[in-house]
Amino acid sequence: MVLEFKLPDVGEGVAEGEIRRWFVKIGDQVSENQPLVEVMTDKVTVEIPSPKSGTVLDILAKEGQVVKVGTTIIIIGEKGEHTTLRSQPEPKSIEASSITPPVSAPARAASVLATPATRRLARELGIDIAQVRGTGDDGRVTEEDVRRHSSATTAATTPTASPVKGVEERVPLRGVRRRMAESMAMSLRTTAQFTLIDEVDVSKLVATRETLKPLAEKNGVKITYLPFVIKAVVKALKEYPYLNASLDDAKQEIVLKKDYNIGVAVDTGEGLVVPVIRDADKKSLFDLARNVEDLAQKARSSRLELDDIKGGTFSITSLGALGGLLATPIIHYPEVAILGVHRIDKKPVVRDGQIVVRDIAHISLSFDHRIIDGATAGRFTSRIKEMLEEPNQLIPELV
Amino acid sequence: MVRRVDVVVIGAGPGGYVSAIRLGQLGKKTVLVEKQKLGGVCLNHGCIPSKALISAGRLARKIKDGGEIGLETTGLKIDFTKTQAWKSRVVNRLISGIKLLCERNGVDVVYGEANVEAGKMVKVKNSGATEELQADSIVVATGSRPIELRSFPFDGKLILDSTSVLDLSEVPGRLLVIGGGITGLEIGGMYQDLGAQLTVVELMDQVLPGFDPEVADVVYKSFLKRGAKIYLKADALGFETSTSGVKARLRSADVEVAEEFDKVLVAVGRKPNTSGLGLENIGVELDQRGFIKVDEQMRTTANGIYAIGDVAGPPFLAHKASREGIVAAEVICDLPSAMDNRAMPSAVFTDPEVATVGLTEEEAKRTLGGCVAERFPFQASGRALTQRESNGFVKMVADAQRKRILGVHIVGPDASDLISEAALAIEMGASAEDLALTVHPHPTLPEALMEAAEAIIGAPIHTLKRE
Ligand SMILES: Cc1cc2nc3c(=O)[nH]c(=O)nc-3n(C[C@H](O)[C@H](O)[C@H](O)COP(=O)(O)OP(=O)(O)OC[C@H]3O[C@@H](n4cnc5c(N)ncnc54)[C@H](O)[C@@H]3O)c2cc1C
Repeated sequence: MVLEFKLPDVGEGVAEGEIRRWFVKIGDQVSENQPLVEVMTDKVTVEIPSPKSGTVLDILAKEGQVVKVGTTIIIIGEKGEHTTLRSQPEPKSIEASSITPPVSAPARAASVLATPATRRLARELGIDIAQVRGTGDDGRVTEEDVRRHSSATTAATTPTASPVKGVEERVPLRGVRRRMAESMAMSLRTTAQFTLIDEVDVSKLVATRETLKPLAEKNGVKITYLPFVIKAVVKALKEYPYLNASLDDAKQEIVLKKDYNIGVAVDTGEGLVVPVIRDADKKSLFDLARNVEDLAQKARSSRLELDDIKGGTFSITSLGALGGLLATPIIHYPEVAILGVHRIDKKPVVRDGQIVVRDIAHISLSFDHRIIDGATAGRFTSRIKEMLEEPNQLIPELV
Repeated sequence: MVRRVDVVVIGAGPGGYVSAIRLGQLGKKTVLVEKQKLGGVCLNHGCIPSKALISAGRLARKIKDGGEIGLETTGLKIDFTKTQAWKSRVVNRLISGIKLLCERNGVDVVYGEANVEAGKMVKVKNSGATEELQADSIVVATGSRPIELRSFPFDGKLILDSTSVLDLSEVPGRLLVIGGGITGLEIGGMYQDLGAQLTVVELMDQVLPGFDPEVADVVYKSFLKRGAKIYLKADALGFETSTSGVKARLRSADVEVAEEFDKVLVAVGRKPNTSGLGLENIGVELDQRGFIKVDEQMRTTANGIYAIGDVAGPPFLAHKASREGIVAAEVICDLPSAMDNRAMPSAVFTDPEVATVGLTEEEAKRTLGGCVAERFPFQASGRALTQRESNGFVKMVADAQRKRILGVHIVGPDASDLISEAALAIEMGASAEDLALTVHPHPTLPEALMEAAEAIIGAPIHTLKRE
């Protein structure tokens, strides 16, 4: 029996996925549950196992292609069985045609069955026409196919490969970076953001962390400042419920979240992901530390699962040592606020009329002004500052 | 004083002037530099003058051959000076057209010899004066020139290249053509039509090397029939001047002969005009044969420098140069343009004419492992017979499964005009069926294409199915 295996719904609400890597090729024997393909959806990468044993008869989605859930991506059957679907236009009928002998090899676009106007359209849209699946007779790529491909991929590939050195390099927008591009643009398009900045005297926090370090180690965790910040944020959110919220535009309702799921921005080297610490309000300082470490690890090795990144209610981006005095963080839409934490420096400050050296950090908070007014934002920021300056209130349940 | 411009195009042949016009249309401040005349080889020494003379030759022969259909003429007098004057009028008319187009599109034409220096600086020398142009981009369109044989150095009097042979003031009595390729046969055939006794020496075992052998054979036989002598697998070894012209030593199949000629045309190929341009100083790389290396978007290995036309490699065709010129112009303007044509048609203006586009049967077999090929002879074409030009055929090559048209090779009347339909079919990815199902008016020569397509799909009307 031939099975036309369709891209499954790998998590609620996921409509499409990008084919990252095929583990099998046409003609391979596969057994049930053997991983077939790595698919990247909304920021997570999943391996999709084979639903049955058999031979790979055809592969219909190319690496890098974005496919909708429910599209057939692979055909598995028995050797010699036939499929009704075909992956590629017969390359034979068109390849190598054709220029009189001494001419250099024909252009790649020329080997695709498509009219000159369609080929030009593809170049105009920045698409490599060789990547477009033709729906026409014989796999002909039609104008419509090109347009469809273009809207399905925001990715832009080099229109024409140049064997000779050009003036720029073009990197396809793929994977984590593509998601980042989409979500950041979405956030700025949708919300009305403003940023508040404050200076925090974290001398006590620095000392507290130093004291807790040995104990943390004994408990098998490395304690950073982030768990303290999460604690402070959760406490402040409980006092200011409009900040742990989202806006339901369609219904014109503000949704106040009762969960405190804190997103933590992690740089993966390929772009930004925001895994979520679930129920942060119910976790101890060391639990939070452990959780943060875990998620960061998973993010860097692209092992995050969909559950790890869904359902955030507020996010923190900790630029810390990465540099910069201040930033204006972009809200992780549909959340309504984000906190940026910057590096700690020793600075001269005035205390009781004296100049003293203290540990100073900056925090920056961006808010969605559609919901949060300036006064609330100010109060919320002050509250966080206060807690970070007096960290004792953050550590009642340590372990 | 250094003049700042957007683009300098070097060479005003069909590559350069077309590129400059397109650049002008796209709003670039463009200077077109030419050391001789607008139009390049194509207009001044190639396509246009040769075709003018070829038309004159054909008409002369048709007039002489009119007897069979009751059109007797006696005493046809050929005043070749007048023919040449007419040719020059045609050329000049086209040149003034280009001049006007350049003007109207804001292209500034500067006469002189260009030299490129680092930093995209172009120096144009014209009788002592030098103008300096600083450009953002440069398009090199300097074309090609005839290859000289050491044993037959050009002298412009007896040993001629393709340029001087078109400017003769009288038709030579006995003409030796070294090289049985496109240029040699076109010009040799033209003088034959005008009364010359023609001898052709060709190194390969067929005339028009590289063309479908069946096609070349038809041309070969027609030349012989009209009285030409053609030595295949032969070589011209050298010559001595004699009282009446030259005595050339020819070797064919290990036999050496010495024959007397009035003129010798050496047409053994062309080489790129790259020397003296300063390309080596700015990082423009050449291939092993000396042509400028370019990519699909006509970029050379040096940033901002483009090359098009003959200088960027064969085939040496004016329409290829023009198409590349447009691509280069559009790429310079950041438009998504590329040389992605599936096929490049070419035409040979012998009698009968030859025109071809796409893969030959042999190439299709070699590269695709198989194909179908069918012929329709002009003998079966009503129109060809009424024109008294029924020599030749249309040969169509298609892929074996889906019968997509891969190549069309025509030898016969008006082949150069017939080929464009085939080129369109290949560009569009049409199948033989598409062509067969398109109604062609009767009686016309293009019906032959339809008939060949019908043969491919196994339903020919005017030929018998092959068993
Ligand atoms: C006899 C003959 C018949 C032909 N018939 C046909 C035909 O029927 N159909 C066809 O398609 N092709 C034909 N061709 C070929 C065609 O002429 C060429 O392919 C075409 O002219 C190439 O165009 P181009 O723009 O590359 O260069 P060219 O036409 O060679 O033009 C180059 C120009 O650059 C100028 N130049 C060179 N160096 C410099 C410099 N340093 N500074 C300034 N200017 C410079 C030259 O003076 C010249 O005007 C024929 C050629 C010949 C010789």
